[in-house]
Amino acid sequence: MSIRILVVDDEPDFIETMVKRFTFRKMPVTAAPSGIAALKLLEAESFDVVIMDVRMPGKDGIETLKEIKKRYPLTEVIMLTGHASVESGMRGMSLGAYDYVLKPVDFDELLEKVRKAHERKLLNEGRNASR
Amino acid sequence: MKDETPRADPTAAAGEPAAAPAGKARPLWPHLIGLPGLTAVAVLSAMVLPIPLAVILALFIASLAAWSAAALASRIRASEQQRCSLDAQLVQSQKLAAIGEMSAGIAHEINNPMAIIAQESDWMTHLMAAPQITPENMAELRDSLAEIVRQVDRCKAITHNLLNFSRKMEPILQQEHLEKIMEDMVLLVEKEAKLQGVTIGRDYDPDLAPIETDVPLLRQVVLNLLLNAFQAIPGQGEITVSTRPVGANRVAIAVADTGVGILPENMSKLFNPFFTTKPPGVGTGLGLSMCHGIVDRLGGAITVESEEGKGSRFTVTLPR
Repeated sequence: MSIRILVVDDEPDFIETMVKRFTFRKMPVTAAPSGIAALKLLEAESFDVVIMDVRMPGKDGIETLKEIKKRYPLTEVIMLTGHASVESGMRGMSLGAYDYVLKPVDFDELLEKVRKAHERKLLNEGRNASR
Repeated sequence: MKDETPRADPTAAAGEPAAAPAGKARPLWPHLIGLPGLTAVAVLSAMVLPIPLAVILALFIASLAAWSAAALASRIRASEQQRCSLDAQLVQSQKLAAIGEMSAGIAHEINNPMAIIAQESDWMTHLMAAPQITPENMAELRDSLAEIVRQVDRCKAITHNLLNFSRKMEPILQQEHLEKIMEDMVLLVEKEAKLQGVTIGRDYDPDLAPIETDVPLLRQVVLNLLLNAFQAIPGQGEITVSTRPVGANRVAIAVADTGVGILPENMSKLFNPFFTTKPPGVGTGLGLSMCHGIVDRLGGAITVESEEGKGSRFTVTLPR
């Protein structure tokens, strides 16, 4: 089963590499340049795992995460950050992020995290369905 | 919230045996003064008395010493049991406090719409008491009714959110290496720590098999403990993170720092919500109580050892 991934980052280079690498592994991936664009995309279709940069102009990663978790609690979000801020990490994790990872990330490790996040989503869905 | 099914947690708190009834404080002097005194007598008597008699005396005193050791050991065991049960009581009272706080919040949230509903229905009763209902009154009645419906919806949204909240509270168990769970959080703190001269040492057990736990929840705990450790170190210092197996079916993670340590009188309040020693604005006093809550839900336990001026060590034990 394929994992529907949404990558959110304001840096075009980063998005380009990400899309290339996921596509190379035959994993469907969609990209959004901002938090607002991501929310718009999420309205139209559902994603399993969102990979999102923390620092973005406009709606930042934390704000977008909050919004995503409010509207689609089952969607898992992996936060990426270029600069280590413990405070925003605490906020991100307590808002329900699956992980909070310092850039640069090893792609294979990120892939593993995406798989784990997806597994969590499936477990969560299974539980909600059994209610 | 009745459908909240307990998952994987009762083993932890219920694991400790019930406290032995608090024994009367028996005197310690027979062990501390009596026995050494008798031993001295035996040594002295060996110099004066004939050997067979001295041997008998020595054997007698040796058996007394054995009895004394056994008595002391059982007293230590009893007091440890008592401490465990006090810990359990503390957890229980914290739970009650949290429930109290939450219900106050809920009551407040629901009271507002209730007040509006009461007011509107009062007005409606008043309007309908008139012998004839004019078209104006009819319009007002409709307005009031619409308002009541709106407020009921508001209440519904509150209870709906509460249900979601309780659902979210249930851990989702996944297989993962402890080291992997911790490392992202360690990296996050490490960069900031390094700038202030705090190094982070890793002491992961390489042979530890993956455990089954709620990964993001545990990450929150780790991050919180790391942040506390970092903030406890005023200048340069070191934080050490470690993982260890504990017996056959538990594991432990520890976060140790070389910081200021915890005052003995604060040890018992450490996990209380809103308790903080940090200046206002820096800490909310919710970090450790949140950690405690999460670890509890994961079926584990959190303990702390600390020496003032030397540092603290928080240990989280979890089921595998």
